[in-house]
Amino acid sequence: MIQSALIKKQRRFFFGLLGLILATAIISVGAGYSSMSYDRIFAALIGQGTFKENFVLFSVRMPRIGITVLAGMALALSGAILQSITRNDLADPGIIGINSGAGAAIAIFFLFVPLEVGSFVYLLPLVAFGGALLTAVLIYLFSYQKETGLQPIRLILTGIGFSMALSGVMIILISSAEREKVDFIANWLAGNIWGTDWPFILALLPWLLILIPFVLYKANRLNMLNLNEPVAIGLGVSVEKERVTLLLAAVALAASAVSVTGGIAFIGLMAPHIAKALVGPRHQLFLPLAILTGGWLLLLADTIGRNLLEPSGIPAGVVSALIGAPYFIYLMVKK
Amino acid sequence: MVRLSAEHLDISYGDRTIVKDLSLAIPDKKITTIIGSNGCGKSTLLKALTRVIPHQAGSIVLDGSDIAKENTKKLARKIAILPQTPENAPGLTVGELVSYGRFPYQTGFGRLSAEDHDIINWALDVTGTQFFKYHPVDALSGGQRQRVWIAMALAQETEMIFLDEPTTYLDMAHQLEILELLQKLNQEQERTIVMVLHDLNQAARFADHMIAMKNGEIIKAGTCDEVMTAEVLKTVFRIDAEIGLDPRTQKPICITYNLIKGA
Repeated sequence: MIQSALIKKQRRFFFGLLGLILATAIISVGAGYSSMSYDRIFAALIGQGTFKENFVLFSVRMPRIGITVLAGMALALSGAILQSITRNDLADPGIIGINSGAGAAIAIFFLFVPLEVGSFVYLLPLVAFGGALLTAVLIYLFSYQKETGLQPIRLILTGIGFSMALSGVMIILISSAEREKVDFIANWLAGNIWGTDWPFILALLPWLLILIPFVLYKANRLNMLNLNEPVAIGLGVSVEKERVTLLLAAVALAASAVSVTGGIAFIGLMAPHIAKALVGPRHQLFLPLAILTGGWLLLLADTIGRNLLEPSGIPAGVVSALIGAPYFIYLMVKK
Repeated sequence: MVRLSAEHLDISYGDRTIVKDLSLAIPDKKITTIIGSNGCGKSTLLKALTRVIPHQAGSIVLDGSDIAKENTKKLARKIAILPQTPENAPGLTVGELVSYGRFPYQTGFGRLSAEDHDIINWALDVTGTQFFKYHPVDALSGGQRQRVWIAMALAQETEMIFLDEPTTYLDMAHQLEILELLQKLNQEQERTIVMVLHDLNQAARFADHMIAMKNGEIIKAGTCDEVMTAEVLKTVFRIDAEIGLDPRTQKPICITYNLIKGA
């Protein structure tokens, strides 16, 4: 029962957000070190740029913009799924231990593998992904009960416990490490988009291409899961099965994003919220907006962070936390 | 005729056994009410019969097949369940919530067909909630909200509807409104209704078949005249009840009661 006025509204926001992403991307290309003047962007795009312009546009800016937008989308969708299956508005990929799990794996990998920037750069996403997945599986096993199945509240509590424990482990690991390794790990944890090359886009894109349609297909089921459990079962939803498959999708999305961007919090919390505030809680309507909002927010955070402090900038994760933390507090106060 | 029956049912939460070796049959196309004191397992039984919670032993059979093995979506086309005081539906409009009742019939992305829209409108009409179709559910009063949830269960178009204390938190007039609506659905459309009720007199007034429970067991099941007796109420509620006949409905009625002293 979706009113056509609401659908029109959703479409307007959809194209509005697309426009915002495009505008922010253009600003991002032109701003910061080795910038490019705006009137040259088009020229470079149609193949009339100088060597330097081409290099900046195609090898520096575009992969980075692509990565941030895609990662933001993945985090937003992951957060939206988690909020619905746990029926908790404050859920975020961070709470199911994605960030800390990936972080701990990166830290361990770095400490025990000789530091040589070369081919193993491409190994890092795999390591982070593995760490995140392993953590999520452990959290699932610890919160699963034979009698009652997967209870959302236990999942959240176990997730928070694991996050804290893994953060502690990371600090212990880092404190005994060499200086340069510590620098990289610290940067990673802060969410400094580091995988800024085309191959990383290829690592991220397939997940989104598969999982966005999959989750949209599940939109109606997510609507039911968001109601209370007896109601959802009564309506014929296989609650337990859907929860597990959707949880897996959320983990895969967040892990693939975090593995190339480093630890980024709050995007997964904020984007679904903003989208729900715009068009209401029906997943068919708000999921597409949440995905775009997430992409835009992370791109914005990275663009701001990159230009705030010359030359290395502030990690995108820090900027998104700076935007996200007050939003989080606002949500808590509003409740 | 019986379509739904249970044999030797055990239901427990963890180590705590709530229902032990219980067997029952739900008469088809009738209204069945379940009564019993707090914690006697009547809500638990209702949840188990509608596969909302699992049972540990015994079997529940609907139309000849075990519901534990049945496809849950298929079951949702036969049985609708309205649990006790469902939570709010944050942000949803009445029409949206009622449309969720069509889920068992939907495939894929969940577009509503013209038929779905007709049934949703019918459910809104019979429950008197058509007026609120585009209002947020959260903004309604308790009685209105209860009727909206019933509308959602109706949109499921099932022959059996289970309700757990559908009249809680409602004032007397609204309680009667809900019960008369259910009675009408039973009489005009031959739907089987099973509900847990707290009020004994309402339970007797609207029931064709009554089940009285205590400590997870059925003390007595049968017609209202068989169940609404001083003896049964003494066992089930430990009350000394005076049973009379309602002059308007000709059903048994508990006129007054005392606690049994020293029991």
